[in-house]
Amino acid sequence: MSAARRLSPPRPVRVEKGPEGAPETVSGEAVEAVLEDWVVEDRWWTGRPLRRRYFEVLLADGRDAVVFIDLTSGCWFAQRSA
Amino acid sequence: MVVCSLVPRFQLLAALGERRALLSEPSALAPEPGRGQFLGEVSAAAEAFGVTPGMRVGEALSRCPALRLVAPDPQGAREQWSAALDALEGIGAEVESDLPGTVFFAASGLTGIHGGNLDGVLRAAGAAVPRARLGAAPSRFASYAAALHARPRRRADQRIVGVEAAAGFLGPLPVGLLRSRPELAWLPDMLERLGIRTLAALAALPAARVAERFGHPGLLAHELARGGDTPLDPRRPQEPVIERLALPDAASGPQLERALELLVGRVLARPERRGRTVRALGLSARFVAGGTWRERATLRQASADAGRIRLVLAPRLAALPAPAELLGLEVEAFGPPAHDQGKLLEDRHAGRRARLAEAVSQACQVAGPGAAMRVLDVDPGSRVPERRSVLAPYEAER
Repeated sequence: MSAARRLSPPRPVRVEKGPEGAPETVSGEAVEAVLEDWVVEDRWWTGRPLRRRYFEVLLADGRDAVVFIDLTSGCWFAQRSA
Repeated sequence: MVVCSLVPRFQLLAALGERRALLSEPSALAPEPGRGQFLGEVSAAAEAFGVTPGMRVGEALSRCPALRLVAPDPQGAREQWSAALDALEGIGAEVESDLPGTVFFAASGLTGIHGGNLDGVLRAAGAAVPRARLGAAPSRFASYAAALHARPRRRADQRIVGVEAAAGFLGPLPVGLLRSRPELAWLPDMLERLGIRTLAALAALPAARVAERFGHPGLLAHELARGGDTPLDPRRPQEPVIERLALPDAASGPQLERALELLVGRVLARPERRGRTVRALGLSARFVAGGTWRERATLRQASADAGRIRLVLAPRLAALPAPAELLGLEVEAFGPPAHDQGKLLEDRHAGRRARLAEAVSQACQVAGPGAAMRVLDVDPGSRVPERRSVLAPYEAER
């Protein structure tokens, strides 16, 4: 296998979302506030487009986290340095 | 399409040599001298008694008192498998093989030189590695499963799974097949406890749920069950430099050291070395009573100095567990050229850089190319965070 690897790869995470689609819990921790949300669409011209909706959230324990939902597969991921 | 060529129980077969008939009886590879008391590969007849690879010898003998323990032959297995890989490379295949007995290669690019179709490639692969089971499928994992299901001792010892048929072929197979990937060896037990027994059941689960429960390994298993896989990573063809010396009866102590001195001299005199230093060596022996032994030695500093190499290898001769009749020495990795050119003007930092480069080189030799990494900015402005930087192997400036 190649020795080079990406930094900050997405990590699968358990998220419960609310009716608006925004996260309500992340890994069992309640979300206090959604600080920001944005959409990234890329490679739409290829057979494997990238469509993500990012949320920067403040958790009940005071941590700041960035999670996104892959709009193609519906999987949730956490990601650092987003 | 990916082709898998599979020789089940290859290490046991290599150790049995001419005594292949023992394969139909309960037999197993004995533990290597000086290692833990665990069995290696076992015959099908032994499996019928509940004996499995990795089982303690005592437990195996209590389950099957008639079990025949076969002295392992790691050097023989390595040589035979290396010859098999060379033969496959001889038909043009770029081979990937992590374990003796299992090899993968991509068929695309080979069809043109083997009759224009996949059958021609499989025929050539079958001729290169006799007795192998062949499987062809769109992915590495599916081709392994196909090779496992190829019927042995049939004329067409092969199974081809088409692109559309891959998911359907894998579906009814048990999740235990995921154990063929070392990074997923722990997963099948857990899946079975959850009632997920077939790859179809795993593939039917939503990827998000699998990812939540099992993380990245779960996603990989899900991808494999759906007929996908990671790309092949073929080996770089090797340049074997090996010297062997037959020993007089019961050679020991000073005689062995003298033999080692001769071997080191011969290896350093080989033209393939082309003035390079030696970084890692494999010292092997064949015992008078049968079986072989092999030890790897990595030099702290790459060297072409015979005295220094002898100094590293001589203590390992003391670890020989039985009298040897043949001693072998193989170069496993070369270092930089042996001649260092001095500079006209002294660079104050050159010494430090050289020491750092040497330390990185040693660490990588022992722990692999991932032991020292550096962050490289690839696309710092990308909106996709994982595309901004990569961790790449650290190559020190000398």
